[in-house]
Amino acid sequence: MTLYPELTDDKRREMLTMMVLIRTYEEAILREYHADKSPGFDIGAGLVPGEMHLSAGQEPVAAGLGLHLTKDDAMTATHRPHHVAIAKGVRLREMTAEIFGRETGLGRGRGGHMHLFDPETHFSCSGIIAEGLPPALGQAFAFQRRGTDRVAVAVAGEGAANQGAFHESLNLAALWKLPVIFVIEDNDWGISVPRAQSTSVTSNAVRGAAYDMPGIRVEENSVEGVYEATGEAIARARAGEGPSLIEVHTLRLWGHFEGDAQGYRTDLDGVPGRDPLPTYRNTLTSLGLITDDDYAAMQSSASELVEDAIGFAKASPTPNPADALQYVFAEGARS
Amino acid sequence: MSDVIFPLMSTAPDATGVVVTWFVDSGDEVTPSTLIAEVAVDKVDAEIYSETTGTITVLVEEEAEVPQGSVIATIS
Amino acid sequence: MSTTIHTTSQALPVEPEAGKRKLSTAKAIQEAITQQMRTDDSVFVMGEDVGPYGGIFSSTTGLIEEFGPTRIIDTPISETAFIGTGIGAAVEGMRPIVELMFVDFFGVCMDQIYNHMAKIHYESGGNVQVPMVLMTATGGGYSDGAQHSQSLWGTFAHLPGMKVVVPSSPYDAKGLMTAAIRSNDPVVFMFHKGVMGLGWMKKNQRSIGAVPEEQYEVPIGKARVAREGTDVTIVTLSLSVHHSLDVAEKLEKEGISVEVIDLRSLVPLDRDAIVASVSKTGRLIVVDEDYQSFGVSGEVIASVAERQPELLKHVARVCVPDVPLPYASQLEYAVLPTPARIEAAVREAVAS
Repeated sequence: MTLYPELTDDKRREMLTMMVLIRTYEEAILREYHADKSPGFDIGAGLVPGEMHLSAGQEPVAAGLGLHLTKDDAMTATHRPHHVAIAKGVRLREMTAEIFGRETGLGRGRGGHMHLFDPETHFSCSGIIAEGLPPALGQAFAFQRRGTDRVAVAVAGEGAANQGAFHESLNLAALWKLPVIFVIEDNDWGISVPRAQSTSVTSNAVRGAAYDMPGIRVEENSVEGVYEATGEAIARARAGEGPSLIEVHTLRLWGHFEGDAQGYRTDLDGVPGRDPLPTYRNTLTSLGLITDDDYAAMQSSASELVEDAIGFAKASPTPNPADALQYVFAEGARS
Repeated sequence: MSDVIFPLMSTAPDATGVVVTWFVDSGDEVTPSTLIAEVAVDKVDAEIYSETTGTITVLVEEEAEVPQGSVIATIS
Repeated sequence: MSTTIHTTSQALPVEPEAGKRKLSTAKAIQEAITQQMRTDDSVFVMGEDVGPYGGIFSSTTGLIEEFGPTRIIDTPISETAFIGTGIGAAVEGMRPIVELMFVDFFGVCMDQIYNHMAKIHYESGGNVQVPMVLMTATGGGYSDGAQHSQSLWGTFAHLPGMKVVVPSSPYDAKGLMTAAIRSNDPVVFMFHKGVMGLGWMKKNQRSIGAVPEEQYEVPIGKARVAREGTDVTIVTLSLSVHHSLDVAEKLEKEGISVEVIDLRSLVPLDRDAIVASVSKTGRLIVVDEDYQSFGVSGEVIASVAERQPELLKHVARVCVPDVPLPYASQLEYAVLPTPARIEAAVREAVAS
């Protein structure tokens, strides 16, 4: 585990706290998602229907990145959005209500887990691979045009780096020196296809050079490495020096989606040992920054927040079917 | 009465062009801010505005070949 | 309270008197954009060759001279990236006008259009708006071949979440562009190249027309009775409005009275206007330059059939059959909805 020497102890604890919160959240969603889909797995059944893509194992990306961002910075994320949404400051209750498809959700139940929109934190996500990158450019464009030092972060997976939108976006961002940071989460798998079978380069960081921007790869799912690399990139962008590409070698602890048996996955045996949460906990413990009691407190505080959000969601009304056509347009109903 | 002249747009002395679009009809009132016509010589376009106020009489048809410098309309 | 919801600015006059000053459709579009850019500095234009070139079909001629390259922006050939940039800028409170050079190019960027631009408002439960105009050139008749001559408005109209406007005249072009820019919804503004009044393409005389000098709107979602009549209803849009009017004028002399409805918008579709006209005439002809099957013409007919099927004594459609648009002009004009085909359809309708 690479340690970033300039990090303060408080920030380290903050990052671990965020990782614990995210993991607690994902474990709770996992529980809720599967609770009512038995005996056979019926994807459309239950309180949380549909696809579910959980981010356990990818906490370091969110925790390291989140410390540099304010409410006013923008972020676009993917079908696997919960960790970065939480780190970005999206309200937990409304986000959870949206995942549960309730009227009190961020999208009034119309978007669901892959389409979370929070204008207060300028956060959005999309289920189409790589297509969150262009709108992030647009948010960065608006920030630049208004003379602010706000930035946009586009989060995508390593599979997205082979989609046209990725290449177009990197080129345009560099050409126009937009204050946008591309964060690629390389969790080794594009569903069932390993990176080596999809990508012509061993590290997407080299693709930065193709578009005349810095390209950095963070290894070992290091939360402090993420903190350092994203910090530099965000500072560059805020200073008007343009975009950067950061790839983090992270870990998809569970399946691509819930229900994925992962029969194709050849690295499963090694996965538990690579779990970043106990790893960083042990690091901070051995540095004397936290005790077991401190960690337990992080867990119980996370649990309180998460169960409150889930309770809020479950107690919220489901949307009225008669309103299904509402919100297509801002002005005037479709005839 | 004043003449509306097809502008000199080409250095070739005997160059011809066309009125691509008339934006007015004979009998219309025009002022200096009225867009009268769009003309072209060899795919280069130019807009012609009236230089005076008055009633315009259109003398040539759209797409008809006319020499540069010729009178294409009059305003009285 | 969301910070991205746009408050309504002062209302503009709606469909005022046209006045005497004439413009081409292209110049009318330029004027609409210019006037809105002067009053709202969040409006900007982005697209290929919109800068010094002024747009391939003259949608932005002269604008860069007034507003400069920071507001009239030439992009690389990266539709996904720059249309997405428009979306993100709109989400953050700007009002982009993004040009897709030819509608036929939508294939390379359709995800941003129909899965993002059109869906963000709904998916966010109305909490995020995308006040963007996507303008694009449509239409054939000048041998530009199968990949550069399509209309495709049926495809866009079919997908929920974006308004679709298709002006036929300079007056409607300025009014609808103004309404589109000021709308808080994403609007696809589709202009037929043949109505722009371009000097280098054959033009119908109705491509030049009277346009009010002041700012005004034409309401999105309202059709217009372009010509009143009693025997046959033609429901149509874009360049086909002009051809239908030409046919109607000709047939008037033979005592055949044709009513021409210019849809002007496809989303929302003015079904009331369609039904009102067919209740007068009982004979419905849809003239549409888009492909015949699974599109606008079927939608127009279905709109009447499901409300008042008893009105329909005769139904026909004059469209491009389900074939890629040919290059050779003899072939292209065999498939386009020409005045000759429209006239034949009207004669058949009144003979029945």
